[in-house]
Amino acid sequence: MSESSESTARRNGWRLIVREAGRRRLGIAIGVVTGLAWTAAKVSTGVIVRQAVDEGIERDDMTALRNWAVVLGCVALASAVFTGLRRYMAFREARAVEASLRDRIFAHVQRLHFAFHDEVQTGQIMSRANTDLQQIQAFVVMVPLTISNFMTVLSVTVILVTIDPLLTLLALGSLPFLNLMATRFSRRLHPHVMAIQQESAELAAVVEESVAGVRVIKGLGAERVQAARLAAEADDVYRASMAAAMTRARFVPALELLPNIGFIAVLGYGGHQVLSGDLTLGALVAFNVYIGMLVWPLRMLGMIVAQAQRAVAAAERVHEVLATQPEVTDPPRPKPLPAGGGELRFRGVRFGYGRAEPVLDGFDLTVRAGESVALVGATGSGKSTIARLIPRFYDVEEGSITLDGVDVRELRLRELRRAIGIVFEDTFLFSDTIGANIAFADPDAPPEAIERAARLAGAHEFITALPEGYATRIGERGYSLSGGQRQRIAIARAILADPRVLILDDATSAVDPTKEHEIRDALAEVMRGRTTIVIAHRPATIALADRVVLIDGGRVAAEGTHQSLLGSSERYREVLASAAARHAEAVPHDAGAVVAGDGDGGPPGRPERVGGAVAGRARGGRS
Amino acid sequence: MWMAAGVDAEDKLDAAAARQVLRRSARLLRPHRRRVVGAVAMVVLWTCTVLAGPYLVSVGIDRGIKEGNAAALNLAVAGYVAVAALAYVTNRRQIALISRVGEDFLRELRIRVFRHLQRLSMPFYDRSKAGVLVSRMTSDVDSLAELIQLGLAMFVSNALLLVVSLAVLTAVSWQLMLVCAAALPPVILASVKFQRDSNEAYLEVRDNIGNTLSHLQEGIAGVRVVQAFAREDVEVGRFERGNRELYESHMRSVAISAWYLPVIELAGWGTTALAVGIGGWWVHQGALTVGTVAFFVLTLSNLFEPVQQLSQLFNMVQSAGAGLQKLYELLDTPVDVDERPGAIDLPETGDIEVERVSFAYGDGPTVLRDVSLRIPAGARLALVGPTGAGKSTLAKLIARFYDPTEGHVRFGGVDLRDATLSSLRSRIVVIPQEGFLFNGTIRDNVRLARAGASDAEVDDALRAVGAYERFAALPDGLDTEVRERGSRLSAGEKQLVSLARAALADPAVLVLDEATSSLDPGTEALVEAAVGRLMEGRTVVVIAHRLSTAERADLVAVVTGGELVEVGTHDELVARGGAYTALYETWVAGTGAEPVQ
Ligand SMILES: Nc1ncnc2c1ncn2[C@@H]1O[C@H](COP(=O)(O)OP(=O)(O)OP(=O)(O)O)[C@@H](O)[C@H]1O
Ligand SMILES: Nc1ncnc2c1ncn2[C@@H]1O[C@H](COP(=O)(O)OP(=O)(O)OP(=O)(O)O)[C@@H](O)[C@H]1O
Ligand SMILES: [Mg+2]
Ligand SMILES: [Mg+2]
Repeated sequence: MSESSESTARRNGWRLIVREAGRRRLGIAIGVVTGLAWTAAKVSTGVIVRQAVDEGIERDDMTALRNWAVVLGCVALASAVFTGLRRYMAFREARAVEASLRDRIFAHVQRLHFAFHDEVQTGQIMSRANTDLQQIQAFVVMVPLTISNFMTVLSVTVILVTIDPLLTLLALGSLPFLNLMATRFSRRLHPHVMAIQQESAELAAVVEESVAGVRVIKGLGAERVQAARLAAEADDVYRASMAAAMTRARFVPALELLPNIGFIAVLGYGGHQVLSGDLTLGALVAFNVYIGMLVWPLRMLGMIVAQAQRAVAAAERVHEVLATQPEVTDPPRPKPLPAGGGELRFRGVRFGYGRAEPVLDGFDLTVRAGESVALVGATGSGKSTIARLIPRFYDVEEGSITLDGVDVRELRLRELRRAIGIVFEDTFLFSDTIGANIAFADPDAPPEAIERAARLAGAHEFITALPEGYATRIGERGYSLSGGQRQRIAIARAILADPRVLILDDATSAVDPTKEHEIRDALAEVMRGRTTIVIAHRPATIALADRVVLIDGGRVAAEGTHQSLLGSSERYREVLASAAARHAEAVPHDAGAVVAGDGDGGPPGRPERVGGAVAGRARGGRS
Repeated sequence: MWMAAGVDAEDKLDAAAARQVLRRSARLLRPHRRRVVGAVAMVVLWTCTVLAGPYLVSVGIDRGIKEGNAAALNLAVAGYVAVAALAYVTNRRQIALISRVGEDFLRELRIRVFRHLQRLSMPFYDRSKAGVLVSRMTSDVDSLAELIQLGLAMFVSNALLLVVSLAVLTAVSWQLMLVCAAALPPVILASVKFQRDSNEAYLEVRDNIGNTLSHLQEGIAGVRVVQAFAREDVEVGRFERGNRELYESHMRSVAISAWYLPVIELAGWGTTALAVGIGGWWVHQGALTVGTVAFFVLTLSNLFEPVQQLSQLFNMVQSAGAGLQKLYELLDTPVDVDERPGAIDLPETGDIEVERVSFAYGDGPTVLRDVSLRIPAGARLALVGPTGAGKSTLAKLIARFYDPTEGHVRFGGVDLRDATLSSLRSRIVVIPQEGFLFNGTIRDNVRLARAGASDAEVDDALRAVGAYERFAALPDGLDTEVRERGSRLSAGEKQLVSLARAALADPAVLVLDEATSSLDPGTEALVEAAVGRLMEGRTVVVIAHRLSTAERADLVAVVTGGELVEVGTHDELVARGGAYTALYETWVAGTGAEPVQ
């Protein structure tokens, strides 16, 4: 990073902290005031002890002694009350800053475009919202505390200098080193602490994956591979922890040694001063009390410098997230979505996840209002990508997509997405009840609506067979459903949203054909009069659509009905291999395109031959 | 970490459990016992030096200053110098030794627990919640680490400091000590209450942190669904409520220490005032020396600090102990599907024999009933049937993820229960439907199947499933990071990576449980052909909903309602007019093509 961008980043970090803390300035000010009151009480105790010893004990004046003891008790009470208040106020404001930043991060991230989430790992955002905020919080807590600590140090020094400047120098002379050393300690320790955190997170990731992917690991007998990975992570954690421990072993004893130098100097030099009558005994005791009083404030002052640096670094990272502009946003002057049946038009669409070689290029397609279209294509041909462009999860790089005549980029995002219901190929359900998951689009939906959606998705039966029916909790802490069951809940969720355009992205891949056959009629009802895009590999599902579109090479390669494409498109037959094999004789095609030996008595569709033939061309087709 | 922390309601230890945990830890620490003894000695010595300082000051005042004896004063000063030096050395050793022992212990514990987790069988994973298992290895171990890194030495030395301080104060002047003891009952009461309240508050905070973080995680993991349904506002509102609760629980916890700290501070200064007042009175009467009063003043202001720290540390000790107990429990969980003593290696090849097998998951209903099936070595078997019929269950029994409730599964004549697990896992490989990808590159993910495989071997495996060119064409080629759970790849591409694992593992028996469900049929056929070539002469069991797969198999077995209803070649079964014919007709009707007769 260049120097200027580094200082800009630091400025951004500071600005974030100052602005957030600024909103809590009243509370922080109260914290500072109570802190100062505490300082005053605390500092005066040393003076009082000294007066008690000198005027009371030494001069044998019992009334003075009693008075000073009472005053000491009162001051102690004040100091106690203020110490509690100061702590409460400091933490209250710091935690409030932390909570408010966490709200901001969540709200911001929820609205960031998909491409951001593709790039950034969940763990990274988690640590912004967790460890980084802890650093900022720890710094804000220290602000009022530091001010009163600083005042403590200052006033104690002034009091001691008025008693005996030379002894002050001897007593406190070593304490600046305490401050310096605490700064160094904190700075040295921090990288190790961060390393421990980092390594522990990596270890946790291995554990998490190993537990979630236990079937894969057992299926492959990869237990040893994982155990070796974990041992490596455990070693890393060990190394980082030992490095931190060694740093602690180097600094902590030294930090505790330094005040002792002051105590020794006071006893040695101060003792002889008292012997020679140049110092009172009370002053000597007071010196001791004061040195003890300065130990923590000085250490804290040392730490705040380092803590401030950490907090700013953390704030820079938080700022980075908050400053990421959502790339997919509402237009400045959104057009209203006209009434319509959900006509979709792709014109010259080009898109490629920011890569040089686009996934889609020159993609043109019109889906009439109420029409259902099946997208068919090889793995990785861009079917899901097309589905993601319609609700603007990504924006096209070139060309346009219109919904009922309006460019999707000119619509209010919320309105656009409300008009589109999508069932993703990888089903994500929230850890909540089944009912709540289905009613995701409309949390206030009545139970009848939820049940109707579930029926249409062929899910009602198995849901009611569960012990708690629609109230069954699913996810981490609840019942685990099979892949086919999860998919049907996701379909119900999309149905309940009652969208103008419904997109089913391989939504029945885990549902068996018999079950699929059963829900096909229901789906047909849902699709009637509704613009629907079906992505599927199974002919039976494809046949649900009025029209089939073959995606190849980033554009529409052919279109027609399932039957007509089987007849006219070789590529289509390739993609749906088995159908191609079956139609080898029925449909005219290029010589050698399909299984050569099918006619000569061999069992139909033996794998080697079909696969071999398809393999040759599938490769050819892609390159 | 952020995993919905498995917070159990009972996070405290009763005395008996605590003793057990201690005993067991002591056993684990036995190899380190010399270091442990050294560490204890250092902590004791160090604590003594902490006390010796103020004591020497009082000696210097009484013997030196008050008696005008410069030599005695100098002696006290010299003693203090020695004590300071000793404090430095012992403190340093103490930290080093405790960290060394503690971190060694933790490292060993992590590895052991994980190894055990890996050995535990599928029935265990069915019973357990993933988040709880992860939290064993994270938050439970972390609470232990925190104690070792920050608390253990403090706890021991504070306890010592408290006891020794009280003893010394009593020895120096039991009368004055008695006066100051007036402060003890309220301090003890407050400390007990604080300890209890703050533990409760701590658990509440921890719960709330767990909730907030898992909410955060779910919000990020599910952000695509949230945006797809334009639910951002609702989710943000929900998150803010949870976050607000976290804030409030933080504040309750702060409030508890905000009343407790003043009590301790007051006790410290209050007793100081008493010592000055009454002690001074006694000095006046000649019953006490000024040095003693000075000693009391210096010691008292620091006496209550250990009390306060102890009550805070006690929580730390308690949650670490509870964590340790849960870890030991996990280590004690028996492995249901384990290797029997005297187990033998499976032969290189052989028939798979399923003999009168019945099976139920736990105490659930019977899922498979009296299933018998023989798969000749080198055959390709397709298992078909409706959802929930028990196809995957049968496959899992063949791979010994579970043991049958009744009957036997044999490979080459050896009952799987008599086989070594390592030979079993290398002969029989299962590829499940979810092409579960781990964080890392495409190559790393394939290499999971065989740790030592070279890049060339990995490339060959990808070539074998026809996925090499596809991935090599990416900007970073095979070193492309697949990102979390493989989000960078299309659904079918994920399955291709997981199939390449099978090619690399090169087993005697390959079980594909809907492992090609997201592939287009063209690629699927290609992959199946590749698998056919690769597994030439070896056994393949495929489970698929697309019957095109069954058409290509040597043998088809139809499972319905937990029973094996038909076995035969595709042609035989189609001709038979039974369950398979019905399934096949539904399928073919769906393809829109004429069935082949
Ligand atoms: N988030 C992403 N970032 C970068 N590249 C991506 C991303 N998602 C998909 N791709 C790439 O874009 C191409 C098209 O992917 P897409 O998911 O649209 O395929 P698909 O046709 O749906 O395939 P499948 O049938 O396997 O689901 C693939 O080559 C894939 O690797
Ligand atoms: N881990 C498990 N614990 C308890 N019951 C289970 C478990 N796994 C499966 N089952 C139950 O056992 C029965 C058979 O399930 P199995 O997964 O074998 O079916 P399947 O034939 O593979 O179906 P699908 O085609 O949906 O994959 C089902 O009723 C299912 O609910
Ligand atoms: Mg897809
Ligand atoms: Mg199954």
